[in-house]
Amino acid sequence: MKLINKFTLWYLCIALTCTVFSTVITFYSIKSKMDNAAIDRLLTINQIAADKIRSGILWDSSVLGRKVQVQLLNTPMPDKKTTVSKSESSYPGSQKKEYRITVSSFLPINNKNYKITSFGYVIQSEHLLTGIEMTIIWKWILILSLIAISARLVSKIILSPFKETLKAIELFNIRHKKKLQLPATNTREFKELNSFVQAMTDKAVDEYVSLKEFTENASHELQTPVAVMKMKLELLAESAITDEQALIITEVQESLEKLSRINSSLVLLTRLENHEYSTHEPLHFCKLINETLDFYKELLEMKSLSLTKKITSGVYVSLNPMLGQLLLNNLISNAIRHNTGAGRIDVELTHEALIIKNTGAEPNVPTSELFQRFKKGNQSSKSIGIGLAIVKQICDIHQFDIRYTYSNRMHTIRIGFKEINTNFLVSPTSIINSESTVLMPVEPSL
Amino acid sequence: MKVLIIEDSNEMACSVRDFLVRESYICEIASNFSEAEEKLFRFQYDCILLDIMLPDGNGLNLLKLIKTEQLQTNVLVISAKNGLDDKVTGLEEGADDYITKPFHLPELHARIRAIYRRKNLNGNNLVQFNEISLNTNTLGAVVNGRILDVTRKEFDLLLYFIVNKDRVLSRQSIAAHLWGDYTDDLANFDFVYQHVKNLRKKIGAARGTDYICTVYGIGYKFNTSAT
Repeated sequence: MKLINKFTLWYLCIALTCTVFSTVITFYSIKSKMDNAAIDRLLTINQIAADKIRSGILWDSSVLGRKVQVQLLNTPMPDKKTTVSKSESSYPGSQKKEYRITVSSFLPINNKNYKITSFGYVIQSEHLLTGIEMTIIWKWILILSLIAISARLVSKIILSPFKETLKAIELFNIRHKKKLQLPATNTREFKELNSFVQAMTDKAVDEYVSLKEFTENASHELQTPVAVMKMKLELLAESAITDEQALIITEVQESLEKLSRINSSLVLLTRLENHEYSTHEPLHFCKLINETLDFYKELLEMKSLSLTKKITSGVYVSLNPMLGQLLLNNLISNAIRHNTGAGRIDVELTHEALIIKNTGAEPNVPTSELFQRFKKGNQSSKSIGIGLAIVKQICDIHQFDIRYTYSNRMHTIRIGFKEINTNFLVSPTSIINSESTVLMPVEPSL
Repeated sequence: MKVLIIEDSNEMACSVRDFLVRESYICEIASNFSEAEEKLFRFQYDCILLDIMLPDGNGLNLLKLIKTEQLQTNVLVISAKNGLDDKVTGLEEGADDYITKPFHLPELHARIRAIYRRKNLNGNNLVQFNEISLNTNTLGAVVNGRILDVTRKEFDLLLYFIVNKDRVLSRQSIAAHLWGDYTDDLANFDFVYQHVKNLRKKIGAARGTDYICTVYGIGYKFNTSAT
């Protein structure tokens, strides 16, 4: 429900309650005023009649055109000097019921007690109500239409800074590293909101920039010393060394290799999380997968793994080419590394999904946990256990649905692609360009 | 060959120089942007090893300078940024190849030689060592005039050995050369062993000398003095 509608409803409820009460009050106050006026008039008539009796003027039964009833009382004077009675009766000769007020005054005149009674007709309650009803209806038509019109107009003006803020937040992208520009407003609530949003986004931008700087620095600062160590060890290995020293050098080199790999993988993951690879272009996926499988052909043969390919041709996936390469490398090298001797690998590619199955030992942690960093199905394995985390991250940023299952001694990874809009493929040159930037894992040094 | 090493880390530049000097290359070191700029204008180099991150400027600007001044040289970009996109940017800016820190020295050497072959020895794609001759265009290997039936990986391996002859090549270095360092610890050394074994067998079958010998604990060496 819109904010303005909520406000309007509230105002209408308040107005309705007020109307009900004010109607009741109006009705009774008008009615009592009218009754009192009639009673006053009748009392005056009674008084005039009494004066006439007192002065001995012959009187007829009407005063000021009203009928007055005079009665000589034999009883002593009652305590109440006047009585008022209200009744419904009809005019003589009319069926219509009228509201009649009868006023009797008890007055001592010339040492005799008289009861002087006169009556009059006043407007009926129902008639009064009908009159008020009309007023209320008109009042409500006026209120409703004015609220409906003004609420919309006024809300547009009052809420415009709020809407602009919303729009600014919507368009805000931390990757642009630009601070949020919010419209000035004199509404206190919006001012508070704006300053809060401003502070929050400014902080986020600052943190993002420093995080990025750290990532880049960490990568650079760590890789250089590692590179130096590796080189020095290589130079050392060429000098005259004993067998024992050779083994030590190799061990150190292996650790260094692992260190630099962990470092670069973590940096890559961070950059993926920062969505730094957002160029989504249609990638000729079936071609890429065939190239990748060719690349690993000899490894497959050496491990005597049998490969079954079911690759649909003409499959394009909206994916950054470099990430596509990384994804396939990680998946296929995983399938090779964690395979059993003389096992098999099935690769199936359709327009909807990529399915890679391989034989392998049962993992001793739930398969879904294998996507976490440094989680390994087999703790003794030499790998650092970050390949699947990278795969998962790539799938996440491209909104692919990735599932890992283990059944019948087969590990299955299924990646469901997001539907690709074939309109992407209008320009064949863009496809060629995207292919030309694909980097094979090994560039032959020829 | 005259090489300019543009690198802010002195230890690293010296290691590279020490390695390349043994190949009788003439190496000079520039440790910052301005020094590099000055050297580039005053001397001529066959190959430039360029670190992108320099303390007083971006290496990519040097690349632009080389391009606009039309300096006749090859550029191999060295970067610690393992950003896949930097690789493309570097190559688009006119670099001949790209290598990411940390790398193996024999790998660097192989890359330098590959660029040099590609750019300077026009049409001559033959790498010759005694009875072994490799054609880097057709990927054909000939031993004693007999064509060797080698796979792509074995060809790469043999070329790597010959370029880095008389050098100790660690198994990691060979694995990284053959499979790249993209994959998470695929460098399973059994595969290296298998490849080396097959290659030696094939050369032996062609009555070639068994130049490749094992270096205990570390890896292999293409021993030119073998008989």
